[in-house]
Amino acid sequence: MIPDAFLTIGASLLQAGGMLAAAPLLRTAIKKMKARLQNRQGPPLLQGYYDLAKLIRKEPVRSETASWVYVAGPRVYFAAAVAATTLVPVLVAVAPLEAAGGILLLVGTLAFGRFALATAALDTGSPFGGMGASRDMTIAALAEPALMLGLFAQALAAGTMNLGVLVRALVQQGPSWHPSDLLAFAGLFIIVIAETGRIPVDNPATHLELTMIHEAMVLEYAGPDLALVEWASAVKELLYLTLLVNLFMPVGIATSVETEALFVALMAWTGKVFLLAIAVTVVESTNAKLRLFRVPELVSVSLGLAFLALAIRFL
Amino acid sequence: MTANILIFCAAGMLVTAYLMVGQKALFTTIRLYGVQSLLLGIVATTIAIAESRPELFVTAALTVTLKAILIPWFLMRTVDRIGIHREIEPFLSVPASLLVCLGLTVVGYRVSTGFQEGARGVGHHLIGVALSLLLIGLFLMVTRKKAITQILALLTVENAVFLVALGVTSGMPLIVELGISFDVILAVLVLGVLVRRIVGRFESMDVSRLSKLKG
Repeated sequence: MIPDAFLTIGASLLQAGGMLAAAPLLRTAIKKMKARLQNRQGPPLLQGYYDLAKLIRKEPVRSETASWVYVAGPRVYFAAAVAATTLVPVLVAVAPLEAAGGILLLVGTLAFGRFALATAALDTGSPFGGMGASRDMTIAALAEPALMLGLFAQALAAGTMNLGVLVRALVQQGPSWHPSDLLAFAGLFIIVIAETGRIPVDNPATHLELTMIHEAMVLEYAGPDLALVEWASAVKELLYLTLLVNLFMPVGIATSVETEALFVALMAWTGKVFLLAIAVTVVESTNAKLRLFRVPELVSVSLGLAFLALAIRFL
Repeated sequence: MTANILIFCAAGMLVTAYLMVGQKALFTTIRLYGVQSLLLGIVATTIAIAESRPELFVTAALTVTLKAILIPWFLMRTVDRIGIHREIEPFLSVPASLLVCLGLTVVGYRVSTGFQEGARGVGHHLIGVALSLLLIGLFLMVTRKKAITQILALLTVENAVFLVALGVTSGMPLIVELGISFDVILAVLVLGVLVRRIVGRFESMDVSRLSKLKG
């Protein structure tokens, strides 16, 4: 008999490792689909891994004025993203570390990572880092309440804040078919776009100084540091999409650890995340980037939708 | 299953209304209206199948062809010809409008419980969403300056009325529905012409400039 602690650690490592391995693929897949929509060939599907490998092999170039904060930033950001993956049910309706906490811990962990990266960007005193950090935090401050409200709307449906218990309850109840589901989903989808830095909020492919947000914040990083930031961002993106599919369409998720159920869950999860990735790509390809001052309006729409999702349960 | 589809579509219509409130690009707003009408068409089809009322298929077909395809196409062509693509400044900022709309939705939902059919179940959500849409449409009409957005607000109100008629009553007679449909299309045509006249005269779609016509 294996002690529970080892089981938990093993499951956490497995899930974190799996998410880390799959994340670059998602980013490249979105890039590829976007390229196809523009009649371009696009990068090969493994390009994300090649890029990471290339960056990791390089030597880190750091500014002379950089302190330990600058070095710690990407590492804490990466660690926070990896830690967050263990708080969310992915293939099995159990989050490996669900005993540690639920929605609030997840949002807090991600916020902590962002805080570390923003302080690191301020550290060298370069104007780009400061500007990027300020913009990123502005959007984060607006998006976070909406994210929490949207998640709370689902938590209310199941009566628990713990993501593992929540998904199990949702699987057991079946789809609730309440207007609140759709409203919360629409609100959270906008938040996912804002948080992952995609058009219409931010453009991941630009290095034009006026428009970049996340890119400006990490502009000074090079080599392995940059690889960590990119990788963590990809993991976060996959994490958000996973959260959406498992909270709103928990069809096919495994309720027991059997090979067959796990295989079905893997297929279902891949398919659902892929569908959402298509939706993200279409939104990104058919919309123009918003001016920075227009972003709060978009985020306030999602805040409104998330709030309504919560309120409508009581009406 | 029927109830689920109905609730889902009604919620979808509410989401499109909120996105319309938060949008300033005219093309997107027009497309959102198209999606909203399409959802209304799905509602009509679902009720037609579930309660075997074949005359509702005509309603659904009319709704989809007229309101989801023809009217959006016509409005887009109008916008294209006059070359003004954005709502510049509504009277209220977007976050403030959203707050007001949240309040309106809450009011709509509360009022819906006063109806006999609206106290619970599908009827509650259908009437709630329809009343909210109605109020949001009226609100959009008074806070937006561009003539095109005002037309869209009017059409949203019309969609809301249709939703109530479909979901709660046993349906209007076909002749009345035909009449309403032609009314709507005529209204849109006339308003489209009016918009172009306004733009021709003032080089802007801003309706508030019309007050300058006073002597």
